[in-house]
Amino acid sequence: MEEYKYLIIGGGVAGTTATETLRQNDKDGSIAIVSDEPYIFYSRIMLSKPNFFLGKIPFDNIWLRKKEWYEQNKIIFLSREIAVKLNSQAKTVELKSGKILKYQKLLIATGGEAKTWNLPEGDKKGVCYLRDLNQAKELIGNVETAKKAVVIGSGFVSFEMGEMMRLVGLEVTLIMREPYYWYPLLDEESGKMVEDAMENGGVKILRNSEVAEIKGDQKIEGVILKNGEKINCDLALVGIGLVCNLDWVKNAGVEIKCGILANEYLETNIPDIYTAGDVAEFNDLVLGEKIQLGNWVNAQMQGRTVALNMLGKHQPFKFVSFYTAQGFGLNIAMSGDVRIKPEYKIIKRDSPEINSFARIIVDGNDEIIGATFINRTQDMSVINKLIETNFKISDHESELADINFDLKTLIK
Amino acid sequence: MATKEYLRNKEGSNISKIVVDRDLCIGAASCIAVSGETWELDNENKAVVTHANAVDDATLLMSAESCPTKAIILFDKENKQIFPK
Repeated sequence: MEEYKYLIIGGGVAGTTATETLRQNDKDGSIAIVSDEPYIFYSRIMLSKPNFFLGKIPFDNIWLRKKEWYEQNKIIFLSREIAVKLNSQAKTVELKSGKILKYQKLLIATGGEAKTWNLPEGDKKGVCYLRDLNQAKELIGNVETAKKAVVIGSGFVSFEMGEMMRLVGLEVTLIMREPYYWYPLLDEESGKMVEDAMENGGVKILRNSEVAEIKGDQKIEGVILKNGEKINCDLALVGIGLVCNLDWVKNAGVEIKCGILANEYLETNIPDIYTAGDVAEFNDLVLGEKIQLGNWVNAQMQGRTVALNMLGKHQPFKFVSFYTAQGFGLNIAMSGDVRIKPEYKIIKRDSPEINSFARIIVDGNDEIIGATFINRTQDMSVINKLIETNFKISDHESELADINFDLKTLIK
Repeated sequence: MATKEYLRNKEGSNISKIVVDRDLCIGAASCIAVSGETWELDNENKAVVTHANAVDDATLLMSAESCPTKAIILFDKENKQIFPK
């Protein structure tokens, strides 16, 4: 039986960053990464960028580590392997191939998979998802021949891919359940800005809408909405969220809610089993609650912290999480906690009329806890710092609303 | 290629130049997460260097390595590219 000091399940950004940090601090400890994909570490974040799809960025830019990096750092990379059984007493992980690996420290950083359409015949040709490189390749192939696309969901995938499809001349209809884009993470004003930009870019938006049926024999030919409306299409891109397959972890007694539950050290309830990245539902010291986040930078930062904890350094993870997206002439970012409660106060910077609009979210204790930015991402680092340091707005409200005021002077 | 160069003259540092390829930069801001002392986003949502000498070589390299589009390029004193390798 092969035994590793550090066994990493998941070869994405959390797993790879953790591996790198482990190797930097432990030159000789044996490390293996188990990945269900055929590829070494690549930039998942590039998959949704139009420039990648349109070939403006060379395809090979997607590889973030070379094969030699694994060899030089004595990292065993087991590709196309899926962990199917965990035994936390014997400290072993069984793979689908039958191979059993013994570990001293285990990191589960398996991320999530694109949630599939829960509809009969939802697997017709032309129904695409965008979560991994194989799915991106499939989507690229479909985009080359498609003429009419429907894009499902009001999130990052639809926003960025909607732009790409328009750039290559597809007719694009966006179908979303929500009353406006990015509800409820954005307010209606900001959501409207996004929708205006998309509509100006030629996207038709159907709000409060849901697909009831998929038409076509083997290949998608159209969708029928719950209100009976039929939309013809030869491509559907479905971006409706993530799911994590965690039965193998749960069966071993690791506590699960939506993701794998962890404390602020990214330790699970079982000794020597850690988690990081999109799959981790961790105690967020900034928000003060357990939360699961699906974004690249968070996964990267957690990869580093979890490795330090696997090395025994006992370092809490404290990070103001943020997302960014670009498309249709807009740069959009969201930081910290953007879920609004009635007692919260919003400080606005600029306005939708001039196509530049930020909202600073202040909780009942007068502390900044989150923000959204549209074409004002230059404010993000300062605001993140203010969120991180529990900044109380007290008499600074008018300064925070003044775009000519240098926000940096608020950082102590 | 739209690039911006930033010279670095930190004592004891082997990195003398930071280059940002603005065509590649997508404003993911991972560099800022690693080193907010060095980086910020400008009003075009591109990463710019605010303080080229703010952090040690290891942290600066880590911020470059964190970029999901490899938009940050580092050069040593002999003007040899040291990242991406």
